[in-house]
Amino acid sequence: MKRRTLLLAGSAAAGALVVGWVASPQRSRLGRGRLMKAGEGEVALNGWIKIAPDGAVVLAMPRSEMGQGVHTALAMLAAEELDVPLASVRIEQAGSDAIYGNVAYSVVNLPFHPMEVEREDGFGRVKASRWIVGKVAREIGINATGGSSSVADAWPVVRLAAATARASLVGAASLQWRLPVDELEVRRGVISHASGKSGGYAEMARYAAATPPGNVRLKERSAWTLIGRPAPRLDVPGKVDGSAVFGLDVRVQGMKFAAVRLCPMLGGSPGRVDASRALAMPGVDRIVMLPAYGGSTAGFAVIGRTTWHARRAAEAVDVEWQGRPAGALDSERIAQSLRQAVETQRGFTFHQSGDVEEVGGRAPRKVEAWYHAPYLAHAALEPMNCTARVADGRVELWVPTQAPQLCRAAAATVAGVELEDVDLHVTLLGGGFGRRLEVDYAAQAVRVAMDVPGTAVQLSWSREEDATHDFYRPMQVARLRGTLDAEGQVLSLRIDSAGDAISPRWFERVLPVGLRATLSGLQLTAPAVLPGVSSLSGPLDLPDKTAAEGLFNLPYGIPHQRMDHVATRSGVPVGFWRSVGHSHNAFFSESFIDELAGEAKVDPVEFRRRLLKNAPRYRAVLDLAAKQAGWGSALPAGLARGVALHESFGSIVAQVAEVALDRGQVRVHRVVCAIDCGTVVNPQIVAQQMEGAVVFALSAALHGRIDVRDGAVQQRNFPDQPLLSLRQTPRVETSIVPSERPPGGVGEPGVPPLAPAVANALYELTHQRVRHLPLIPATDA
Amino acid sequence: MQLTINGRTVEADAEPAMPLLWALRDVLGMTGTKYGCGVAACGACTVRVDGQPVRSCVTPVSAVAGRRIVTIEGLGTPAAPHRLQAAWIAEQVPQCGYCQSGMLMAAAALLERKPKPTDADIDEAITNLCRCGTYQRVRAAIKRAAGAKA
Repeated sequence: MKRRTLLLAGSAAAGALVVGWVASPQRSRLGRGRLMKAGEGEVALNGWIKIAPDGAVVLAMPRSEMGQGVHTALAMLAAEELDVPLASVRIEQAGSDAIYGNVAYSVVNLPFHPMEVEREDGFGRVKASRWIVGKVAREIGINATGGSSSVADAWPVVRLAAATARASLVGAASLQWRLPVDELEVRRGVISHASGKSGGYAEMARYAAATPPGNVRLKERSAWTLIGRPAPRLDVPGKVDGSAVFGLDVRVQGMKFAAVRLCPMLGGSPGRVDASRALAMPGVDRIVMLPAYGGSTAGFAVIGRTTWHARRAAEAVDVEWQGRPAGALDSERIAQSLRQAVETQRGFTFHQSGDVEEVGGRAPRKVEAWYHAPYLAHAALEPMNCTARVADGRVELWVPTQAPQLCRAAAATVAGVELEDVDLHVTLLGGGFGRRLEVDYAAQAVRVAMDVPGTAVQLSWSREEDATHDFYRPMQVARLRGTLDAEGQVLSLRIDSAGDAISPRWFERVLPVGLRATLSGLQLTAPAVLPGVSSLSGPLDLPDKTAAEGLFNLPYGIPHQRMDHVATRSGVPVGFWRSVGHSHNAFFSESFIDELAGEAKVDPVEFRRRLLKNAPRYRAVLDLAAKQAGWGSALPAGLARGVALHESFGSIVAQVAEVALDRGQVRVHRVVCAIDCGTVVNPQIVAQQMEGAVVFALSAALHGRIDVRDGAVQQRNFPDQPLLSLRQTPRVETSIVPSERPPGGVGEPGVPPLAPAVANALYELTHQRVRHLPLIPATDA
Repeated sequence: MQLTINGRTVEADAEPAMPLLWALRDVLGMTGTKYGCGVAACGACTVRVDGQPVRSCVTPVSAVAGRRIVTIEGLGTPAAPHRLQAAWIAEQVPQCGYCQSGMLMAAAALLERKPKPTDADIDEAITNLCRCGTYQRVRAAIKRAAGAKA
């Protein structure tokens, strides 16, 4: 690992790496059996697969379960290739070797226009770049669960690992029984021969460890028995009887509990602190001051006998807070500055085709609109927390995280120990949505545990701390300008947007110093190595694809297009929020497409279809949603439909929303989703994710906003930041476009189209266009 | 403080003002009941007290001494799951799962009061928040458990 890092850091890096690549890229990720801890009687066949004495398959699990069903989906891939029932797969947390890094997470973030990807047949720019980035990502091996990339990443490697293990097991049986491999078959984990010989995986495992797998072939699609069929999730039983262990449910003998109180003003810090009254309260141990770890805000924690004791005491600490040295933040002022940035700054051109200036000058019909999206909080239902124990130069962490390696690195830095001295257990996550890609809470827990050596401390945030010290979805402003000819054909589309860069802020607060240098080097050399790629996300303040995604990569065949983004730096902590830039940018672009359709006086579905002549995948998704929704058919009075279509994380989703106004309140009755996410592993989970994405996005579309005044976030708990309730939930129906492409994302792509679909339906109802989120309908409707 | 939880009487080392939630979680180690908001808004902490759904984050232990408390750990057993738990599995309700204990306890109280709840009954009784958006399946599972077709 260290040698590789050095090699990379030695700049010209990406180029040097390309030389000397021999093995198949996926095979390089199989790893040796010693990467898995062998329990009593267990035999590891590679870095992913172990056989237990009861014949169960144990799968190394590098991804975090936060509700998206990843533990089940990856287990299905292993079960399929090993020919065992899904219930025979157990999962075990993977170690920290680079083979477990999420390669697809980096590849999916390459800033390509989807039509360029669709068009490319041979080994062109897109494939070359993906290949190089994939290779570098394999070397670095960052293990993260994000970017809806887990299945896409596991798709080649977990199947290959399982198929390789199967081949060794069958090969071992062949040698033991002196029977040809071709005559052996496997059913439900039992190898058998027509002669009557048979034996389970457990029997063959120890021979298999010494048997080369030979020529490994993945199953043909037609032979699948699990992939593509609904299967019950492995994590559900523990989630209906209370036994599932989330971060807050970790219990360690003799543990204490710590409550956090951070400066209410973002970027501020505690000044004079008087804890005497708090420390005199029963069940209270001590106060620990907390610097601004991992880009968070400074404050303190109080350790007590229970969370309740600790929280009461934390509230009782008398503290004079000091504001942010650079001045108090204010979201109103930031909104004005973003608008000004769009008007006065050029920004970075993410996409350009034709000549928008020239066409804009002569086009007979013009449409211009400004759009706005507010800051948003993640509001995972399980607030931020981490349990830590520090003793004798070692750190043990129990943490609900999407980025275990980064938490481990943060812990090592805070405790002043080596990475190898940190043991980290990933628990279940009570929601993630991108918030748990951060490391602030883990660093805080380690700092607190250092003051009570040998004692485990569970540090947790109250709902109020969680709401007021998030890494928010950034505020964004966009101006969209379209032109049409006299017949209503769209000639040009020009989008100028402004908002905080997301990726560089994240990289700079979570990456350990060495890795930051490596990635900075890569980011600088990328344009030289990857032709045309000047916006590879990284720690440096270069053009950030994540802020502009969903605006520069529209599938519509509009001859003249230009998309510029001004990356700002407001000072409000911003981060990845489920579907990231797509979440607000789709609201801008898909609302505006309806505005253009209105100007052309063409039905919104038909209008899109015409612009998608060269994008058949998109059109098929749109058509399926329209058909399932009965687009064009009559609706009861007071109801209207709206449509939106958006690609993100490799998957295309169209949604049709049926919307009514109920005493001035927006009421969504039904949402029809169509998705093309490539090959589907578990359609049941796809449907769940579409349903969840609709509710998540509708909460944001109708209620979501974070306001910062005098430096402090105003929304503190669910009463002032309402989530959608069961009563308000629409009926959600999901249809899947059959596909044999590799799997795309599923957790996030259902979010972006929802807000514009609802906004477009609202327009049908009121003939007033709402261009701000959350959607507040015009009052005279 | 003596508490009767899931049919057993236990001694909890808790001050009278301590919310039941923290007595369960941090004193007794019964972690199935969750903290979500601390202000009775989200329902993740829902338990049943004498049959009624109660938000344990705002209920001091002094108020429940001598009353019958049932938590998610007492809703069913692996051998004999509550019909709601079976329905929850059949409908594949949970995603992250964090809110589900509270959902199930609220649903259990509803079914006892209204064995055949209508949609309006479900709307009124299930005010618990789910950030993953499992509501549609929560509704279907309640109906399934009630013997109605979802």
